[in-house]
Amino acid sequence: MKQEIQFVLNGEQVFADVDPQWTLLYLLRNVFGYTGAKKGCGVGECGACTVIVDGEATNSCLYPVLEVEGRHVTTIEGVAAPDGTLHPIQQAFIENNGVQCGYCTAGMIMSAKALLDQKPDPTEEEIRTAIAGNICRCTGYVQIVESIQMAAARMKQ
Amino acid sequence: MAYKDTMSAEAISALGGAVEELLHIGKGAPRTAEIDKVTGKAVYIDEYQRPGMLHGKILYSKHAHARISSINTDKAKALPGVRAVLTGYDVPDVRVGFLGDQTLLKRDVVRQYRDEVAAVAAITPEIAEEACRLIEVEYEPLPAVFDPLEAMKPDAPLVHEVDARGRPLRSNILPLPWKLTAGDVEKAKAESAYVVKDEASTTWINQCCMGTSGCVAEFDSNNNLTFVSLTNVVFGAKGRIASYLDNIGLKRKRIRVLNPVVGGSFGTKLDTDIYEFICIQLALQTRKPVKLQFSRDEEFFALPPRQAARFTIEQGCDKDGHLTFRKCEAILDNGAYTSWGATTPSVMMLPMSSMYRVPNVLFQATCVYTNNIYSQAMRGYGNPQAAFALETSMDHLAEVAGFDPADFRMINRNQPGDVTPMECKITTCPLDRCITAVREKIDWDQKRGKGNGRGVGMASLIHVAGGARIYMSDGTGIRIKVTENGELDVISGSTDQGQGSPTVMAQIIAEATGFMPEDVNMIFGDSALGLWDAGTHASRHTFVAGNAAVRAGAQVKQQILELAVQYIPKLVKSALKKQKRKNPDFVEPELDYSLIDSPEKMDIKNRFIFPKAEPDHPYFRMEARDVVRRGLHVGTGESKHVVAEVFWDPPTQMLNAEMKGNYSCTYAFGAAGVEVEVDKETGEVKILNLVSAHDVGRAVNPILVKGQVYGAAYQGVGMGLSERVQVVEGKVVNGNFRDYKILTAKDTFPVEAVIVEDPDPAGPYGAKGIGEPGLVPTAPAIANAVYDAVGVRILDLPITPEKVLAALKAKGE
Amino acid sequence: MGAFTYHKPATVGEAADLAAELHGARFVAGGTDVVVLLKQRKIDPANLISLRNVAELTYIDSADGLSLGSGVTHTRIANHDYIRARYSALADGARVVGSKQIRNVATLGGNICNAAPSADTACPLLALDAAVRILGREGEREVPIDDFFLGPNKVALADGELVLGIKLPATSEKSGSAYIKHSRRQAMELPMVGVAAWVSVSIGGSEERCRGALECEHTPDVIQLLQNEEVVLEDVRIAMGVVAPRPIRAREAEAKLKGQVVSGALFESMGDVAVSECQARDSFRCDAGYRLEMVRVLTKRAILKAIDRIMRPGREADIDLLW
Repeated sequence: MKQEIQFVLNGEQVFADVDPQWTLLYLLRNVFGYTGAKKGCGVGECGACTVIVDGEATNSCLYPVLEVEGRHVTTIEGVAAPDGTLHPIQQAFIENNGVQCGYCTAGMIMSAKALLDQKPDPTEEEIRTAIAGNICRCTGYVQIVESIQMAAARMKQ
Repeated sequence: MAYKDTMSAEAISALGGAVEELLHIGKGAPRTAEIDKVTGKAVYIDEYQRPGMLHGKILYSKHAHARISSINTDKAKALPGVRAVLTGYDVPDVRVGFLGDQTLLKRDVVRQYRDEVAAVAAITPEIAEEACRLIEVEYEPLPAVFDPLEAMKPDAPLVHEVDARGRPLRSNILPLPWKLTAGDVEKAKAESAYVVKDEASTTWINQCCMGTSGCVAEFDSNNNLTFVSLTNVVFGAKGRIASYLDNIGLKRKRIRVLNPVVGGSFGTKLDTDIYEFICIQLALQTRKPVKLQFSRDEEFFALPPRQAARFTIEQGCDKDGHLTFRKCEAILDNGAYTSWGATTPSVMMLPMSSMYRVPNVLFQATCVYTNNIYSQAMRGYGNPQAAFALETSMDHLAEVAGFDPADFRMINRNQPGDVTPMECKITTCPLDRCITAVREKIDWDQKRGKGNGRGVGMASLIHVAGGARIYMSDGTGIRIKVTENGELDVISGSTDQGQGSPTVMAQIIAEATGFMPEDVNMIFGDSALGLWDAGTHASRHTFVAGNAAVRAGAQVKQQILELAVQYIPKLVKSALKKQKRKNPDFVEPELDYSLIDSPEKMDIKNRFIFPKAEPDHPYFRMEARDVVRRGLHVGTGESKHVVAEVFWDPPTQMLNAEMKGNYSCTYAFGAAGVEVEVDKETGEVKILNLVSAHDVGRAVNPILVKGQVYGAAYQGVGMGLSERVQVVEGKVVNGNFRDYKILTAKDTFPVEAVIVEDPDPAGPYGAKGIGEPGLVPTAPAIANAVYDAVGVRILDLPITPEKVLAALKAKGE
Repeated sequence: MGAFTYHKPATVGEAADLAAELHGARFVAGGTDVVVLLKQRKIDPANLISLRNVAELTYIDSADGLSLGSGVTHTRIANHDYIRARYSALADGARVVGSKQIRNVATLGGNICNAAPSADTACPLLALDAAVRILGREGEREVPIDDFFLGPNKVALADGELVLGIKLPATSEKSGSAYIKHSRRQAMELPMVGVAAWVSVSIGGSEERCRGALECEHTPDVIQLLQNEEVVLEDVRIAMGVVAPRPIRAREAEAKLKGQVVSGALFESMGDVAVSECQARDSFRCDAGYRLEMVRVLTKRAILKAIDRIMRPGREADIDLLW
């Protein structure tokens, strides 16, 4: 039986009729058409579904949909400016080859954003801790970490 | 055998004197073409939708080897939302696969846990899954065999009782006798001053693409098929599907194979997998578009991993350290059916015959059916497996013969002009520079031989870097159309798997045409639009597609310059006339039109056409698109469209009956150096530093080249230390990201990618392929470093703490 | 995933009432275990009672010892300065659970109630001598953590009972603790073996020289120098994970150590005893033999790391050091 929830999605107050069995990931992908978050494993072991809920990076594939009520959810679709200008993290990923196949990218950027929002000047160790739950098979993480550092430096200016 | 020169006239002119003035090659162009990947808009198979689309799901075997005694699909069919339930009895009994040794759905016997027994199409993935649970299958277990050595014995249970043509089989050994021989190995062995013999083995590695496998099949009302697939060989997939459709009675149907954005490949997209045929069959049955996408579980247990291999390797050298012979016998656990894993020996042969100068070679490989999971391609194909055996043996031989392993490699290094025992022609070869770079950057001479728990190790590689003629055509087609707005719409017959080809190709085309990289709009992966292509594999894309692009780009430039000769004078004159009309006092300048009276006198750079004699000419310097537009709108029936199409097949040879031939235009070399620290109490190996130096010919985009090297090196570390698909009695038991130990961002160590440039005359602007090499030497370098650190050789990958600790104990520490 | 009704009580009282009313209902906090079990169809409850919105369960109180609500997330524990300083083993355990995304929502209560033999907070809580606060129909009761774990995924909770939080006794300046997770990777892991140790020490010799000893590269040197300074293990608690059906205390090994001056020989014999207390099993994740070898190594290292924490407090850099 569907229940109505209300929450803030990428800055916009939204409503949805949801099944209690859904996860936040299912809601985002199938109701709102926000498909940047991916179902890489469905059990919280790859991070491809990462979104930010109330300021914290979270696996949306494990997030019970009814818990979304009243919360602030940010997805990759809400990261760039409304005019399309890329966020410095997105820009750095493009410039520094932080993206290859791109499947982990949305989740990776959300983990990085949650970190930089809380800690604008993280150490490499802190960056690596923040993205350790985001598996990437293409890059070896090197240029991802560099991209996040590049973004942090630019955001400070 | 005639040596066909790989240096083509066009390639030389493309390099020409212009090398120093390259505007776009060698620059770290951003991946702007893939911006949708950072905004979440990219459409992977996950997002691909069609109206009325159904979802497919497969039911797999519950046994490694069993007879199916009954299948009951009644409950599944009765489930609301189910549109089709298929078993082996509902689909034509048509064989598929490299050796035709399997059918889509297995009727009588299952031979491995991943055997597809039934398939469902339903209105949601959840209903399809539920329907699979409702299918009742009864099995009678049969004796199974899981060890290839056991499977080779005469009394072993047979995995297959008949071959593809129904002829009885008496052995589990596949009829694929891989053998390469050159010189006289036994004589050379007898004459060697030093000889070593080792056994090495590598296990199954899952490619772990972050995007799981999937496809969408849709037939139109004429039974023509549109197949959205992740394949990296659209024409290979099309060919296999065409012959399947043909075999099931759908003759001469049109098939269009399309790629969505692909979430990683690493070899998994080379063969057409059984799930793809099943999806097609479900679409045919339901008359609806059907999507079938794997879960992560399936990705681990139902997708073929890297081929596992066991090697017995013997090598010898003379007292000066020159290799005298190499003899290697490989046994490959083929699993229950045959995909590309069984052909990995064709690539193992390259390092086995051609890594270092070795005059006498014998390589043999035997593939054996077992009831295990079967294997396919993964980055490097068989090379990483072979390199592990070869490079650990090199260290062993160096030690026995009393040489520093780095010196030993330098003594035996390949050199330009060599023809190897496999008849590969080595053209450019900066292996010496790669070894030297690693030696310096890893601080080899200071750190080696301390035996204090820390140590350094090294390994080299050779790989195909100028295409790989494994099919009769190793060609690729490209078409460049210049629009009147000055965009270049480019259709490539090949595919993009996320390695950065839209960026690299845009740089090459911009360089060749005189436009800007951002003007180039690359379209990949559409069999209906693209010309034939052998696929994005074997590190061939930049080289082969790049060569086609250089040639097509040159034609585009020539066409525009021919239009320029015709129309720049007209455009200039009409502009002057206009100015005169506006301003009666305007004095028309006297222009020397001979500056632009032939295409040879002009060039195009950064979108502008200009006379070479006066590049900043105030009237003749003109935007190329203005000329293109003028040429397209002539008004006399003589309009011209700037468009060029090139199909380029590299001048290489198929391997002959002796498995010899120059099957690539050029070969890439490289070396990896690793410093490790071994915890003697726990057996853990910690990487302190990794240097990977690679011969890339010329780096079209240094940032992207480094990305290839870093990513491959990390996969190599995984192969070396932590990754293994654990198969217990045929069953994958660690099929998830918690138990399959792919490295995380916290499993970090300093890694340096050293780009060694030695432009190759056959490459586009000198580039060689670099997709796979970074992986190849990493694991053996780690094994060699572990030996240097604590004196134990672990020759069975991965080098787990358990193995190291056990070896240390055996050694008495 | 089967159908279920999802309840969102706002208070402990409401949660307890729901649990009493809905027989067989399952509590869910961060969901990182329960949602996985639901998806894998390993559980199929008709009712889920969410504790995520029960603010009463998110307290961290350090007035008398340490009290933590069951709803406190691993991230909060890992980042809590007081816990890091005085209950280091618990912070060690919390910071190595899964990933940042998991730690942000996964709760302490969830980790112990899931009762995996590999739970990363279990060994620290055993070594720190935690008591579990449980709310049942007859009101609140306290159970020593050692009596709480019964077996794999089995804890001493009756149907409808709810873990309110845990209580840890006060610690002195001369005590310290550490947890070492021995795993194949640095993140997203289950331990092959996990060992936590809590020690309180007295020092016959110079504390300064003890600190110097800890700078040594080789463990035998460290131990010898500490022995020279007569470092006595006044009290010790050791807990071991993934070596038995549930996380266990190594009580005999503790007895062996108590009151003794640290020495190579002492650790050697303690290792044997600790191994004898295990019932390790082979699994595809790790062989029993290797696990037991690691018990020997890690009990020693955990104790050394705990001593290090006493001698060199506030040293962030030691977090990944091997002792």
